[in-house]
Amino acid sequence: MIDVVGFLISWLTFLGIYGILAVSLNFESGTSGVTNFGKVFFYGLGAYIGAALTVYLFLLLSGVDTSKVSPFDIEGIVLLGELATKNPILDIGLLVASLVLAFLVAGIVGYLLSYPIIRVGPAFVGFTLLSTGELFRIFVQHYEPLGGSKGIMSIPHPFAWVPNPTLRALLYLFIVLGLLALTYFVFRRLYNSPLGRTLRAVRDDEIAALCLGKHVPRLKAMVLFIGSGFAGMAGVLLAFYYSSINPDIFVPAVTFNVWAMIILGGMGNLEGSLLGAAIFTLFDRLLAFVTPQLGITIISPDYIRGFLVGFLIVAVLLFRPQGILKEGKIETPAWKVYEEEVKGEKSG
Amino acid sequence: MRKVANILEVNSVTKTFGGIVALQDVSINVPERGVVGLIGPNGSGKTTLFNVVSGFYVPDKGEVWYHNGGNSERIDGLNPNEVFAKGIVRTFQIPRLFKSLTVLENLLLTPYGQKGEHPLKAINPETWQEEEKALAKKAMELLKRFGLLEYANVRVSELSGAHMKLVETIRGLMTPARLFLLDEPAAGVEATAAHNLFRLVRELNAKGYTFLIVEHRIEVLMQYVDYVYVLHNGQLLAEGKPDEVVSDKRVIEAYIGEANA
Amino acid sequence: MLPLDQNTIINFLFYSFFYLLFAVPLTLSYRTTRVLNFAHANFITYGAYVAVFLNGLLGNQSLLLSCLLAFLVSGTLAVASHIFVFKPLSDRGASMSLIMIASMGLWIMYNYVLYMLADIAHALSGVNFVSYGRILYNDVPEIMIGSLRLSGGFIAVSVAAVGMVVFLSFFLNKTLLGKAMRAVADNPVLAEISGIPRNKVITVTWVITGGIVGIAGAIWTSFSGTVTPTTGDAMILQVFTVAFIGGLVSLVKTGIGAFVIALIENVGISFLNAWFGVPTSFRTFLTFVTLLVILIAFPPLGAAGGLPFRYRRKRGEAR
Repeated sequence: MIDVVGFLISWLTFLGIYGILAVSLNFESGTSGVTNFGKVFFYGLGAYIGAALTVYLFLLLSGVDTSKVSPFDIEGIVLLGELATKNPILDIGLLVASLVLAFLVAGIVGYLLSYPIIRVGPAFVGFTLLSTGELFRIFVQHYEPLGGSKGIMSIPHPFAWVPNPTLRALLYLFIVLGLLALTYFVFRRLYNSPLGRTLRAVRDDEIAALCLGKHVPRLKAMVLFIGSGFAGMAGVLLAFYYSSINPDIFVPAVTFNVWAMIILGGMGNLEGSLLGAAIFTLFDRLLAFVTPQLGITIISPDYIRGFLVGFLIVAVLLFRPQGILKEGKIETPAWKVYEEEVKGEKSG
Repeated sequence: MRKVANILEVNSVTKTFGGIVALQDVSINVPERGVVGLIGPNGSGKTTLFNVVSGFYVPDKGEVWYHNGGNSERIDGLNPNEVFAKGIVRTFQIPRLFKSLTVLENLLLTPYGQKGEHPLKAINPETWQEEEKALAKKAMELLKRFGLLEYANVRVSELSGAHMKLVETIRGLMTPARLFLLDEPAAGVEATAAHNLFRLVRELNAKGYTFLIVEHRIEVLMQYVDYVYVLHNGQLLAEGKPDEVVSDKRVIEAYIGEANA
Repeated sequence: MLPLDQNTIINFLFYSFFYLLFAVPLTLSYRTTRVLNFAHANFITYGAYVAVFLNGLLGNQSLLLSCLLAFLVSGTLAVASHIFVFKPLSDRGASMSLIMIASMGLWIMYNYVLYMLADIAHALSGVNFVSYGRILYNDVPEIMIGSLRLSGGFIAVSVAAVGMVVFLSFFLNKTLLGKAMRAVADNPVLAEISGIPRNKVITVTWVITGGIVGIAGAIWTSFSGTVTPTTGDAMILQVFTVAFIGGLVSLVKTGIGAFVIALIENVGISFLNAWFGVPTSFRTFLTFVTLLVILIAFPPLGAAGGLPFRYRRKRGEAR
């Protein structure tokens, strides 16, 4: 009756995608002090780039004339569905290409956007990025080549050629978790390095960091490049998971959810972001699972869930602002030197 | 008498904000290996001058020259991080250390252009490990020398005010910087700590470091500086050796004027 | 020929007055309390929904009553946000970013509470409150000037806007409390030392902010064809941009900003439409471009926690 395997796969896939978002947001807003309220923008940008690239290229490379058969009409959609099952190389290849392209484009856009906002305070930064996200969504809604308000459909699943659906989902989960692991690995290295230390300094006191020779604008631009690039990749993962995307997915609520994850897990703490993502996605999946069983209620459970996200943010900030896991130390070889010296002092 | 080269020359600097003239045609010379004081009543422009030299403000008129060894260059108009890269360290009246980091980490932050600060290198610890260990050794030695070893692993937010000022000053020693701009080192600390800090200044000076110090507590400052400049209402009012300046009528009037205001 | 017809001009004035009413209190609240409050959008929406519920559930057609109640509700919402969230956080020394994030949490919470209330009201009355039509009030007159027809809503918003300007000028310049508010805004430390009861001033600031914006929200229901729980959110980009034009400190500049943005959005877009065929739905983009231009060309230095000086790309380029 209860599909435990299906539930687990679904939860863990979301954990993977949101984990990447949370870790990258934590790097920007937790460690480096760049308050990014526009996370969903880069997420959506990546998703659309990946989806558009894939559906158009897939048809083109399969010898279909896209000026006659658009990926948006029924014919194109059906064709995509059929061809996907027969072409493993294109399936996987396009996923990889999408990931790379999304990373680069989202990263560069993040880098460019840093220009108007590096000199102003976190209020302007946060708000500008929030608006960018909304503008992107409104733009895509009206832009037909990207599917308009219907969005892009029938995105070929990288494992469409695998006949067993559970195996298909499992293989995809493997890819998602692999990318999550990569993300974790990269950010962990960045965090535990002189760069991580410098970024924390910039967060603590920009002016002092500037006086100590740190090129604050360039650092912030770099942070946004990296953070946005990874968010773009997460978007691609979402697009392929759903097989279709539309503008209504990429609303500010997504950004706020990710913020709630990193606040709950502990801002500045890498493992905390993952913990926050895990808790949230679990809660979300449980609700999605339970709601149909509840029948119709007066108040939509979506509203209660949405309310709880906001409430959680406020409650954590009021009562335990450091979150579940406190910000950790920067682990570099410097501490080995420290320990040796201290031992030397004690014995010598 | 042998002419001593100047390490810092502020030539006829003028700086206005809107309608307010913060600095008017101010010229100051800091000789190499000198300890120079900069005093003046509140609002006389001392901090503005520091801000111009350290790169926060661009002077409307005038130039700031930095002579480092054989190299002479104009530094007005450079950004604060570029000024630091040239070898000038600046402290703040209320110490600006990085509160979430430990004393050791604060010291490790100071050297300019560390390999591990570049993202592509940061990912690969092997490229910066050796440099990091070397810097850590240097930092530990500094901490030992100045009696701060026990605080190496302590978060800066937990230090006393006097210790914070000490850390802010000595971290400059992690770099090849030779000129230190100290902004009111005696502010907010009790007399013993203030004197200790100034004694440290002279100790470092004997080793070859140059200091330009803004200070409001004249009674402490005068014992430790070789030369003093007095600012008043944005203009250079007087200059000279400490005892000359202290007995200068104009200086006394300026300060009494402030007391009566 | 300029595509300036009566309707465009009336719309321009409408929006100017509404942006004025929405944004000036935002600037006032920020500079006095130093909290950038994202829940400001809710003050608008709750004010509108007071009017909506009064009309939909009780058949009320008095704008005056709606405004009075809206003032109370949004004012209370603002003060409650202060007492339960902003004050505890700021007392604890939380950074501006943190309080801003908390205000976002409140924004989310208030939004969903309103959705839930709309659902409950719907269950009680069968009326759809998630999308509500324009309300016709019977206590605001329609005025005809020659062939120009000024609707009741227009009269109401003009009166409110002018009233707010008059009230604030008088209050901030001539009353003790108002002057105290300015002192707290200009120099909080000095104000505290001078014995000004900072918390009392801040509480009053929130009452005024929430109250004025709530009234504006109520009046909005006589202008807009669709009122939804995201009505405030839909306009928040413009409202914040207007406040940013004032650098978040100058009330006068915020007022000017209201007219500027309304001009760009109504007259500007109709020019671009007539001359270049730009679709009118692009008006939000114009506002956003304006925001970016302001941030690049005239960054509000030092405001809202930014760098208090201009980082220069080339040596000595900016003063």
